[in-house]
Amino acid sequence: MTRRLMEGAEAIARAMVAAGCRFFAGYPMTPFTEVLEHMARLLPEVGGTCMNAESELEAVGMAWGAAATGTRAATGSVGQGLSLMQESLSEICHARLPLVVLNMARGQGDYHQATRGGGHGDYRHVVLAPADVPEAVQLAHRAFWLADVWRNPVLLVGDYYLAHVQEAVDEGVADLPPVPDKPWALDGSTGGSGSARMISPLGLAKRGDPSFVEYGRHLETIGDRLAAMEAGVEPLAESIGTDDAELVVVAYGTPGRYLRYVVEELRGEGLPVGLVRPITLWPFPSAAVAAAAEVARAVAVYELNTGQMHDDVRLAVLGRRPVSFIGGLSFDNSGFGIAPELDVERLSARIRRALDETARTAAPA
Amino acid sequence: MEREVLCTGIGGQGVQLAARTLAVAAVAEGREVMVFGSYGGMMRGGNTDATVVVADGPLRAPPTVARSWSALAMHPEYWARVRDRLRPGGVAVVDAGTFGPEVTVPGCRVLAVEAAAVAAEHGAPRASAMVALGAFAAATALVTLDSLTEAAGDVLPEYRRQHVEANRRALDAGYRLVPAPLADAWLEPAVGRAR
Repeated sequence: MTRRLMEGAEAIARAMVAAGCRFFAGYPMTPFTEVLEHMARLLPEVGGTCMNAESELEAVGMAWGAAATGTRAATGSVGQGLSLMQESLSEICHARLPLVVLNMARGQGDYHQATRGGGHGDYRHVVLAPADVPEAVQLAHRAFWLADVWRNPVLLVGDYYLAHVQEAVDEGVADLPPVPDKPWALDGSTGGSGSARMISPLGLAKRGDPSFVEYGRHLETIGDRLAAMEAGVEPLAESIGTDDAELVVVAYGTPGRYLRYVVEELRGEGLPVGLVRPITLWPFPSAAVAAAAEVARAVAVYELNTGQMHDDVRLAVLGRRPVSFIGGLSFDNSGFGIAPELDVERLSARIRRALDETARTAAPA
Repeated sequence: MEREVLCTGIGGQGVQLAARTLAVAAVAEGREVMVFGSYGGMMRGGNTDATVVVADGPLRAPPTVARSWSALAMHPEYWARVRDRLRPGGVAVVDAGTFGPEVTVPGCRVLAVEAAAVAAEHGAPRASAMVALGAFAAATALVTLDSLTEAAGDVLPEYRRQHVEANRRALDAGYRLVPAPLADAWLEPAVGRAR
């Protein structure tokens, strides 16, 4: 196993190729561009294809086509580009195709887009949110595995910090169970039936085929599959100090990384604060949040938006404890999602204020 | 234990390259390492900073830190923000060519080296950051000169390979500028935990 210092963007690209990704398409937008550039260099070396599409609409269409052939495929953008892709992403879910989608986001304003989405019908993506480069490498492997197991798109959420921070990375093959065969993949054959195989958001067979199901029944099947996926995908979270914390902070991604440091520093001073850092945003690690809230007097959510994951934390806590929002927007003039508020001292001050507020207002646990 | 190095200078001095060289050397020594560079769109003249954190165990520091054990400063223009984050007892290596020979930080150990002049003497006038990095390694024992020399061969892209030997000469010359270490990164206790 080799250990190399790598920027997150390169590490994610290399992990995707190591995970078997052989098709990638995208349209440049910082900090997604950084990953696209590495894929453009890496994929031809292994016989794969990387397309600089004319827009995000074409990129997701190309990736959809590649995925339909059973090829491990990925696309991505920043949240703005993923807005354009929403129609296709919901249809890819309805067509039950595996696909990995990157959101190298500018800040954290896309939490609802990632976990709810703006497409049509009942659909969900599995959403993975690494906090550092080694975790991003592990989750990139896991994303392709989950996509194949559940025949469903998996979103990997990063940001400018993750793309640009350099860390020592162990590059090995991830130890994940085998994935099912892909008998549904389009390979140009007709399967001996005399009619071409098809993949469609309206169902996987044509009227008159023995396996044809009515559209309504197809949508019900999708609903059943979503329920199975929600129950079957292991929710992941990192918890710190939640067995004795009076205030539990919930944060994901890069802010989660900062708060992990801040919470450990504050605990070193003896302050009763803990952290739950969701690693899967869908399925949300509700049990980990609920368990931490059970012990604590209050819960506080920090995210770089005006309050989105706040909803999922409130759903997990279900009114048993007060859930305050201590995050907010923060950006510099670059527009890339660099947040001056991500500063150890400023975050420490924020947590101290929330802790004071807890002591003043919350009922004893 | 985590050792932070805040690197600062202006674009074109090689601050990002020095940060990466230090980090690659530390990885080769089995350390956990993180680097986060911040630099404007301009290649030359603007602010260029990098945070390097080297740990002898799992690395916990986020991409930017509030307090630092050390600093490597090539230019005084953006030095104040770095200086103010030095922990009590911290170590700084600065370029005397841009700072002048007398640089003090209350409560910290500061070494000013004639980085640009020494680089020029060794036929590597653009490698002053490498001279300063060599001196930093000698002053702090954060990494060895051997590891830096090896790393210098890894950090340049193919089209810049012709500069590897000049960088190695500069690292070596900087290392030899320091008569005695100011600190020992891995032996002295951690100081001034972040507040």
